Amino acid sequence: MSKPTNQDVKIREFVQELSGFAKTAEETLSTIESDLEGKKQLFSVFSDRMVAIRGTAKQLNLEDIAKIAGLGEEIAIKGTSAATRPQIRKCVGSLWDALTTVKYLLEHHGEETGEEQGILINRLENTLNAFGGARPTVSEDEIEKLLKARGNN
Amino acid sequence: MSLHDESRILIVDDVNTMRMQIKELLKTFGFQHLHTVANGEEAKIELAKNPYNLVLADWHMEPGDGMNLLKHVRQDPSLKNLAFVMITAESTKERVLEAIKGGVDDYLIKPLTRAQIETKVYSVLLKRRSE
Repeated sequence: MSKPTNQDVKIREFVQELSGFAKTAEETLSTIESDLEGKKQLFSVFSDRMVAIRGTAKQLNLEDIAKIAGLGEEIAIKGTSAATRPQIRKCVGSLWDALTTVKYLLEHHGEETGEEQGILINRLENTLNAFGGARPTVSEDEIEKLLKARGNN
Repeated sequence: MSLHDESRILIVDDVNTMRMQIKELLKTFGFQHLHTVANGEEAKIELAKNPYNLVLADWHMEPGDGMNLLKHVRQDPSLKNLAFVMITAESTKERVLEAIKGGVDDYLIKPLTRAQIETKVYSVLLKRRSE
């Protein structure tokens, strides 16, 4: 058996650590499900956990996990402002799918991404688009400009 | 005294993997005084106990997120020379502007590259030293 690389060790530590984050996200979704309209602000807790997973997954080049966590983050953001019960329920359903897949990929990292994950990504993208799409982001260059603009004011 | 010897850097992130990765990177550049904590509240305690030149903080943490920590730092006169860099996966314009308005010295989006962190850390520390 080959010796694990430094990257393998980091990924293993990350997987262990992130299982705690995934648990928080899971509990949050269960709470929202119990009171769809009353607890929808808790979507922000879910979103925060997904940001943490996405950031570290990107740092470790775990692109599939980062992609699904990113979609989960954006759908959760939409959930906080969803106006109707069916919309909230739709968000919760999508987020369960996203979370289950992130957990699966964390536990089986290194395996090829299956067709099922591709279908799920497509479905999550469609859900997000139905809610108006992801929030616009800025590039490093734009951040640089914004920082400079502050310096000139 | 060189920048590496004199600079004390506090790394704040709730993901241990990230904390260790940033710390290892900074060590390879020659920085010696590196300390890590897991959230904003722990950072506030550490900043009250020991002097630092630079804080590298994640945004989303509990208890005490990166913005809350930034506000604390900018409101405390004893920390007025402390450089603050937000390191986060959060890249919406709204959030970036919020951090700039709050007084960050710089803003880095994960994933971080070695070159990126090297450029930003040196530039922020040198700028603060010349003030």
